[in-house]
Amino acid sequence: MSDTVLELKNVSREYPGVPPVRAIDNVTLKVMSGEYTAIVGASGSGKSTLLNLIGTLDRPTEGSVFIDGVNTSQLRDRQVAGLRSARIGFVFQQFHLLEGMTAVDNVATGLIYQGASRRSRQERSTTALHRVGLGHRCDHTPAMMSGGERQRVAIARALVGDPAIVLADEPTGNLDSKTSDDIVALLERLNAEGSTIVVITHDRELAQRIPRRISLSDGQIVDDATTTKEHS
Amino acid sequence: MTAVASPPATRFRSRLRPSDLVRTGTSGIRNRPGRAAFTAVGIAIGIASMVAVLGISASSRADLLAELDRLGTNLLQVQPGQDLFGEAATLPADAPLMIRRIGPVDGAASVAKLQATVRRNDQIPTSARNGLTVHATEPGLIDTLEADMRTGRFLDAASAQLPTVVLGSVAAERLGITNLQLGPRVWIADRWFAVIGVLEPMALHADLDRTAFIGLPVARTELGVKGLPSTVYLRTVPSQVNNVRAVLARTANPADPNEVQVARPSDALEARAQVDQNLQRLLLGLGGVALLVGGLGIANVMIISVLERRTEIGVRRALGATKGHIAVQFVVESTLLALLGGLFGVAIGYAATAGYARRQGWIIDLPMEALVLGVAAALAVGALAGLYPAARAARLDPAEAVRPGG
Repeated sequence: MSDTVLELKNVSREYPGVPPVRAIDNVTLKVMSGEYTAIVGASGSGKSTLLNLIGTLDRPTEGSVFIDGVNTSQLRDRQVAGLRSARIGFVFQQFHLLEGMTAVDNVATGLIYQGASRRSRQERSTTALHRVGLGHRCDHTPAMMSGGERQRVAIARALVGDPAIVLADEPTGNLDSKTSDDIVALLERLNAEGSTIVVITHDRELAQRIPRRISLSDGQIVDDATTTKEHS
Repeated sequence: MTAVASPPATRFRSRLRPSDLVRTGTSGIRNRPGRAAFTAVGIAIGIASMVAVLGISASSRADLLAELDRLGTNLLQVQPGQDLFGEAATLPADAPLMIRRIGPVDGAASVAKLQATVRRNDQIPTSARNGLTVHATEPGLIDTLEADMRTGRFLDAASAQLPTVVLGSVAAERLGITNLQLGPRVWIADRWFAVIGVLEPMALHADLDRTAFIGLPVARTELGVKGLPSTVYLRTVPSQVNNVRAVLARTANPADPNEVQVARPSDALEARAQVDQNLQRLLLGLGGVALLVGGLGIANVMIISVLERRTEIGVRRALGATKGHIAVQFVVESTLLALLGGLFGVAIGYAATAGYARRQGWIIDLPMEALVLGVAAALAVGALAGLYPAARAARLDPAEAVRPGG
């Protein structure tokens, strides 16, 4: 598979102010289907802004973002939202599960805005939970789960819609090292199964385990290195 | 596939099924049922008071109207008015006879108020009138008024010529006469009169409850009065009330029709059914204020809820919710909160109406419109209250909302 699932063309994002802050400065990059990429940088390097631009939660002031071949700058709110629901899966550092909902319902939220029927949502969510190794926790609420389990539920939620790309923002940032290893292993496995994953992190150690690493500094790409599969 | 060959963007459209709209709209309520209940209380109070006001006044009116139905609105009364000089006028002695000749008049009977007093016995001073009056009347009075006897019988052609008396309910009570077994007598105009009957209270003629009725013939012969009618009561064919009314004055007193007053006693009762409209408006207004306060309460809680649920909003947006979906979710939530309050309010209002009406011995009459209106008002208030918080929720920047610590 070598389709481009993500392409940024001369993308900049400037925040108004005196002087204006250029958080992302003329970034051009391509991510191919099935790639496992890390975007690495110190805090303040523009990682979060880049994540928001890739995830279409924010729009560039210059340049274009293509997701799965669609130029997102031409889309209206409803279409961008539809694109997010169909093509992008988000994993957040703080999991951001909805309290009071069972794991399966939380995962199903990932399908609700696709207009899927309740039954199909439940079935696909259960499958997704099995995929992340939580088949036995379907009816548990986040409050009953460990941090690692919650992050697995969040990953299942990101995967359930079969997105073109999964964006994970510091997915291990809130986890102890043992649990982090499990999550990293899970992401590796999912990638091996064909998911395109972009991880945003400031954790160099985590980044080292990811085949392609894009380093960001002051809003610009300063390095784009790929380790061959044999070493990963 | 390259980025240049963009597929049609329209294939991506965020969609939310109506059932899921309700599901997302109730998620806040399900997660915090206690808060939802307290929030709905304000609306419940407003709606309950409005429903109760409408229900209680409707029940009261229904009761009055039922009483009107029972008493009939076809009873008229004729009384002497004033002459040109402002002096008290009189009705001719044959006025009842003349009135009875009007075609659609079913019956008429006169009473003549006498100066005499009625006392328990001759030992009681004349000054002790006890608020009671003595009227000379005709046997037909009881039928015309459709009055009922509590005990004994009314005057008839024979007893009207004898010193016998029938007492109104209050008069009997004040004279201490409860039964007729011992042949009670009362002292009227220096004579003993045998009590032959006691009337039930008369709803439209409370003044007659305080009256002792003697026959017109005996009043004329024994008491030596002329017995000119002070009031003539008449029943008409129900459909002819207005026609009869138009000719009554001229019939009763052809010489001076201007000196005749014609009235319909049931008008007073009808007026009572209308009179509390101002009070009703006031109480409805108070209910409206409670509803408004309830609505503001909902708006407040919703605004807090939006602040608390920033992350949820951000996550939902990231998962594909449009601004519209977020706005509608909050409007649905506040509308459902208000609906919850509204339904409770209607139930409480109904219970209050039923309880009050039962205690008053009224018919329970809660207009369907009041119930529908109550729920509709709650829905409207809820939807309005949700608009501003919903707009705030929709405007939230999703990138900000999902940021760690954001």
